[in-house]
Order: sequence, then C-alpha cells, then structure tokens
Amino acid sequence: MTQYILRRLLLMVPVALLVTLIVFALVRLSPGDPILIYAGEERDPAAIEALRHEYGLDRPLPLQYVSWLTHALQGDLGRSLRTRQPVLQAITERLPKTLELGFAALLLSISIALVVGSIAALKRNSPLDLVATGFTIAGVSLPNFYLGIILILVFALAARIFPPGGYADFASDPFDNLKRLVLPAITLATASTAVNLRQVRSSLLDVLEQEYLRTARAKGLREGAVIVGHAMKNALIPIVTIFGLQIGALLDGAIITETIFFWPGVGRLAVDSIAGRDYPVVQAIVLMSALSFMASTLAVDILYAWLDPRISYGRRSS
Amino acid sequence: MRSARYVLAFLASVAILLAACSGGQQPAGGGSASPAAAAKAVYGGTVTFAIDTDPIDFDPLKSRAFVDRNVHYQMYDSLVRIDETGKIIPWLATKWENSTDGKTVTFTLRDDVTYHDGTKFDADSVKWNIDRYRTTAGSQRSGELASIDSVEVVNPTSVKFNLKAPFAPLLANLVDRSGMMLSRKVVEAGGEDFTRKAFKAGSGPFILTEAVKDDHITLEKNPNWWGKDKDGNKLPYLDKVIIKPILDSSVRFTNLRTNDAQAANAIAGKDVPTAKSESGLQYQEKAAYSFRSIIPNEAPGFVFSDHRYVKAVSMAIDRAELLDKGYFGLGVAGYGTIAPGHFAFDSSFKPFEKADVDGAKKLIQQIGKPLSFVLLVPSGDPVGLQIAQLIQAQLKKADIQMELQSLEFAAILDQQTKHTFKDMTFVGWSGRVDPDGNTYDHVYSKRPFNDSSYSNAQVDKLLDDSRATFDEAKRKDALRKAEQIFVVDDPARVWLGFGAAQLLTSRKVQAPPVYPDQIIRFQLMSMAK
Repeated sequence: MTQYILRRLLLMVPVALLVTLIVFALVRLSPGDPILIYAGEERDPAAIEALRHEYGLDRPLPLQYVSWLTHALQGDLGRSLRTRQPVLQAITERLPKTLELGFAALLLSISIALVVGSIAALKRNSPLDLVATGFTIAGVSLPNFYLGIILILVFALAARIFPPGGYADFASDPFDNLKRLVLPAITLATASTAVNLRQVRSSLLDVLEQEYLRTARAKGLREGAVIVGHAMKNALIPIVTIFGLQIGALLDGAIITETIFFWPGVGRLAVDSIAGRDYPVVQAIVLMSALSFMASTLAVDILYAWLDPRISYGRRSS
Repeated sequence: MRSARYVLAFLASVAILLAACSGGQQPAGGGSASPAAAAKAVYGGTVTFAIDTDPIDFDPLKSRAFVDRNVHYQMYDSLVRIDETGKIIPWLATKWENSTDGKTVTFTLRDDVTYHDGTKFDADSVKWNIDRYRTTAGSQRSGELASIDSVEVVNPTSVKFNLKAPFAPLLANLVDRSGMMLSRKVVEAGGEDFTRKAFKAGSGPFILTEAVKDDHITLEKNPNWWGKDKDGNKLPYLDKVIIKPILDSSVRFTNLRTNDAQAANAIAGKDVPTAKSESGLQYQEKAAYSFRSIIPNEAPGFVFSDHRYVKAVSMAIDRAELLDKGYFGLGVAGYGTIAPGHFAFDSSFKPFEKADVDGAKKLIQQIGKPLSFVLLVPSGDPVGLQIAQLIQAQLKKADIQMELQSLEFAAILDQQTKHTFKDMTFVGWSGRVDPDGNTYDHVYSKRPFNDSSYSNAQVDKLLDDSRATFDEAKRKDALRKAEQIFVVDDPARVWLGFGAAQLLTSRKVQAPPVYPDQIIRFQLMSMAK
C-alpha cells in the first residue's frame, strides 16, 4: 500500500508538469493582451511597452515558460498582472475562505444526501422519495447564479434573516462569519446535494436487492445493523467516488457562488484573472486545482481499499 | 399693509439673490454644495460603500483603472479639483497664473497642509511628485504630463511649471491622478510596493488603514484635514468609510435595501425606478462626462473606410428610443464627445436628434452598394446585447443589415487595438474633465484610442489649436468645429449618448451631490440626524 501511494505521488509530478505546460499554452493562445486589458483607459505606448517588459511578456514564449517554471519550483509563482500582488500571497490570502465555503457546502451536501437518500431508498415510492426525487431534478436544473439571487431576495431582502453576502473574519466575529456563510453554502451545496442524493438512493437500492442482505436478515440481525453494517458499506464505493471528485472540484464550484455573494475567495480571483488574462494567477490556480484533484482521487482510491477488502493495491500474487 | 408686503417680498428676493451668489464661492474642501453642510454638521459614523469593481492600484503613478479613483479621491489631495458643475476649483493650489506666452503656469500653494505621516506639503513636494509621475519608467501619468518641460520651486508656497508649448488641458489633468500629491518620505521608505500595506502617503480627508483584495478597503477620518464646509465646520464628518466591491448590480442594490451598505454606485437602469420610489433610499443622477459609442473600422479595405456608411448608421439610429428602452433612461442622448458637463458643450448640437431612415436610405443609394456589416458584442453582457439588438432592429428599417457577433471582451479589445476588427465594436469611455480628454486621443490621427483609424487633417488642426490657447472662447470654437466634422461631415464614429453619474444612498446618511466625473466625495457625506 505504501509503495502504491508513493508511486502515485511520484506520478503526480509529470502530470502536474504536463498541466502547467497545457495551461501555459492555453492561456497564451487565447486571444487578448493582458497588458492592454489592464491598461484600461491609459494607453500610453511607452508605458505599455515598459509594463510588457517589466512582466517579461516581451520575451519568447518558451523562455517565459521556463522562467515561470523555474521560479515556481522555488515557490515564486510570480506577480499578478492585474494587481501586482505576489500570486502566492493572493492565493493563500483567499484559500482559507474558499475552503471554508467549500467544506461547509460539502458537509451540508453529504449529510443531507446520506440521510435523505437512504430514507428515500428504504421507503421507495413514498411521498418522501417523491419529494427527494423532485428536489434532485430541481437542484440539478437550477443554475447557481439564479439560485443565489433568489436566496438573497428571499432570505436577505424579504425575510432579513441573513445578510446578502460578504465575508466576516471568523476570528473576530464567529457568529457573523457563520451567518454570512449560510446562503452561499446552500447555493453551492444544492447542485451537489441533488447529485449525491440520487447517487446514495440508487446505490442503496442496488444493494438492497442483493441476496446477502436476505442472509443477514435471516440470521437475525436487526434492520438497522443490516442497513448500516451491510448495505451502506457496500453502497458507499460509488458514493465515495462522487464525493471525492466533489472535494477536488470545490474550487471550481465556488467560482460563481463567490461572485454572487462577494465572498473573497479563490473562485472570484479565478474569474477576474481568466477574464483579464492574468497569466501568472490563472496558471497558479489551475495548477492548484489539478493538484487538489489528484490528491482527492488518490484519497478516494485509498478509501476503496478500506471499504472493500477485495480491492488491493499490493503486489499481485503470481 | 400692502407696502409692508412689498418690503417683505423685496427683502426675500434680496435674500434669495444673496444665497444664490454665495453658492458660487467654493470653501476649502468643496463643501458649499453639500446638503449635509447646509445644516449643522453631524459628526461620526461609518458608511459602507458598495462599489461595482474592486479598486486595484492605490499608487496614482501606476493606477490604470477608472475605479481606483474612488479610493484615490478620499486619500489624496490634488493641486486642483472640480466642483459639482465641472468647474475647476482651488484645492492644494489656491491660485494659478498662466504667463502671457502660455508657456509657464505658476501655482500658489496652501501652507496648512500636512501628509498623513506628518510631513509638510510644500513646493518641493509638488516638484518631486510631478517629476516622479513624468520620469518614472512605466508611469501611467507620463502622457498626461508630457507637456511639462520642467518644474521649478519658486518658494515654499509657489511652484512654476515650464511647458514645452502652451497646453490648455494641463489644469484639467492636474485635477485627477496626475495632480495628486504624495508624501515623499512614505513613498521612498515603502519602495516600489508602498501601497501593499496600509500607508500614510496622502494628505486627503481619509487615511487608508486596511485593504483586503476583493473584500474591503477601510478608510478612516483624517482629523487634521484642512477642508471645511461653508459654515466653517471641519471636514470630513464621517469616522470611517468601508468600500466593498460587489460586482453584481442586483446584489449591490439589495445591499442598500437591507442597509448592509449605505452608498452604492453604478445602479442598473432596471433598478432605478425602484431606487427612486423606495422610501429608505435616495437616488441622485447627473449627466456624466462618459460617452457611449460604436467604433467602425475605417481602415482601408474595410466597409466603413467609406465614411458615408458611418453617417448612414448614425442617421438611422433612434437615440431617444435607445436611451429609453436600451439604457432604461439612464444618461442622456448625445451625438459627440463633448458632454453636458464640459465648458464647450453645445446643447443645440443635435445632428441626429430624430432617426432619419429615409435620409440613411438615400445616402446608401448614393454610395451604390447596400450596407451589411458585423457588430462585435462582448459576451457575458446581456444589457449590451439587448442594446445591440435594438440597434439592429432600428437599422433594419433603413435596409441596413447588421449581424451580431458575440466575442470575449479581451478578444475584441485585441482586434480593436490592432485595427483588424470586423466591422464595428461597442466602446464606452469613462470621460475626462476637459473635452480634450474625451476627444483628442479618440479622433486625432494615429492616437492611442483612435481605434477606427480615423484621420482628418482639419480635425487634427482644430484640436491642436484648442490645446494651444488658454482663451476659453477660442477653445470652445475650435472644439465645436472639430466635433461638427468628426460627428457629421466626415464621421469618425457613431456616438450614442452620455452616461450617468449615479449615487444611491440610504436615508440614514446625508448624501453629497453627484459629480460628473462619477466619483463620490465622502468628505461631504455625513450621517443623517
């Protein structure tokens, strides 16, 4: 197992390198000159050329890539073309906020999906099952930006229960922080809850029809033990895959939600940077996103082995 | 009894007249026009300002974004400023004199100003700041100050600008970032990145105490600011201003309605009727310096290289309908670059007041080939798309076929600056205090914002003439003549109108007036009683 993990970790290096190369090529191939974009209404040719030179954008592309990579390996991800802030600082400043939002959404999504999905599967075709199915359709169909605005209008403007957005530092005001977290977390969680709920329900339904459950019941186990100890554990493999992928995609999901609720996280930084061709920031965010995907898939693979002893990553016996 | 009434009426008239006259005098700090200043000052309080974009750069030398000015104006003082009508008023400079040949401008400076770090503002400071803007590599201000040859310190309260040639728009340039004064000590101690952390380089009404990117900017009252309102009360009134970037206009508006913010800018046209009718809110609007236009590619080989086609498009557009249905009544219909707030504005200049569909058809018939072209619309801009569709429908009446093509803004900008776009693009301009700033770089041959590749020797000459004289009447004449040419006789673009300077505030605060440059003067804002 240890060998397997080490092998996977080592494999991450070329994958990450490949990702940096692809992203570097993609952002530079997309039309648009960041210097011109950030020049805005100041288009003094001399100043523009000075800026281009300052950021090294007047050098050949391969040289730019090598220079970026060399610096990145030393922990220097460059400076934002838009704000001149060091990229690493820009990301580390925002990452805790994105993680807070992402994990709150994930927690919400997983707990609702596990509880409601299980009940829906156990009480198939009951009113609750129908409501849950209806929710999954609505949840998947509702775009984030629309749901966010609706939540703001209902809970912030009409009911005045939650603030319409913004961020408060947890350390200085934990209550305000949590209050501001509720609406964006619900917005971010809704689509994934719908997917997870459906997954839990269908996986459990598949397992419930298996014969070993009848055996478990026949040997006198209580229904609770049958469901939790036998049915759920076997139903978890596809569920864990979906959850794992969602952890990796935390950052991606936050992009729209953070913009609507002006949550100062990495998602918003990504939006601004992509639109403005802020090369160093885009490269760093995509690299970080790729690494988090790789890490979460590795974690999922490790979890498989724990969930199903038949799955082994050790050496194959000859 | 009747005579007593006459006496009372006479006295009232005199009082009104006197009040009207006193409005013209500008007290230090620009306080005369503030509704808050009209009553006894209310001190204290915090206002949260929901702004449409995240301010980027706090160093005026490097600042490139329009939005930055909303922070700069609170932190820094400029040599001169404008009042709410757009007239240039004394600020750090109490007066200025042009030499008879127009090649020197001498400023007399206030002697009671200190920077936030405690250092004194004087003529040396002016020289250092202007030289820094002019000579630093990569300075965004060097173009605006290119007319200056050298800066001479006459004495601690007097400084002389020697110009390469007379340049009338210089004073207007000094209203904004090019005229903002910073403490040399703070800038030099902080190095290139002095604005990264809270810093005390300004001398303005507020001190920047915290800035978290994409989240908030905190500005705290400068208790030693020199500005006073018309009653002699010290400005600013507020203790703190928190600027929060909220990009979505609906969410920005909601924040005002829930009192999570007390001031907001850039309110979407669709929300304006609600903003006006809601009892807890106060909405103000004024025509801004900003303009809206469509740029044709007039480079050889492109359809609009025949400028008559540009005129036909201009003639076929119904600007009143566009303003009403496209912009929800926000702004004013307009035809050129000289905005209502500019000294050279001519309210009778309405060349395309009503859509002239038949005239446009006739013109195209004269050319002999039907007009069919592409308008590039930035993707992700539903309002822009709606307006484009409205124009498309209007042009169709004149048998002009306009195809809409959606493209990312970055890509459009790229094509536009390379003069390779097909065939027209939407372009706005945030506006400048002097009409020269709205015009010169946009229509003068080969200037940076002349994306239509327009060139007209007569226009170039008139614009040069307007720069070379300080005589306002002569400048007005030259600018208006040029506008007639580049709008009507030999059009450079299709101008659609002028934008609106907006300010939405909660009734919990006394709002300052709106300025045509769209920048909010927080030193004049106070909490309501």
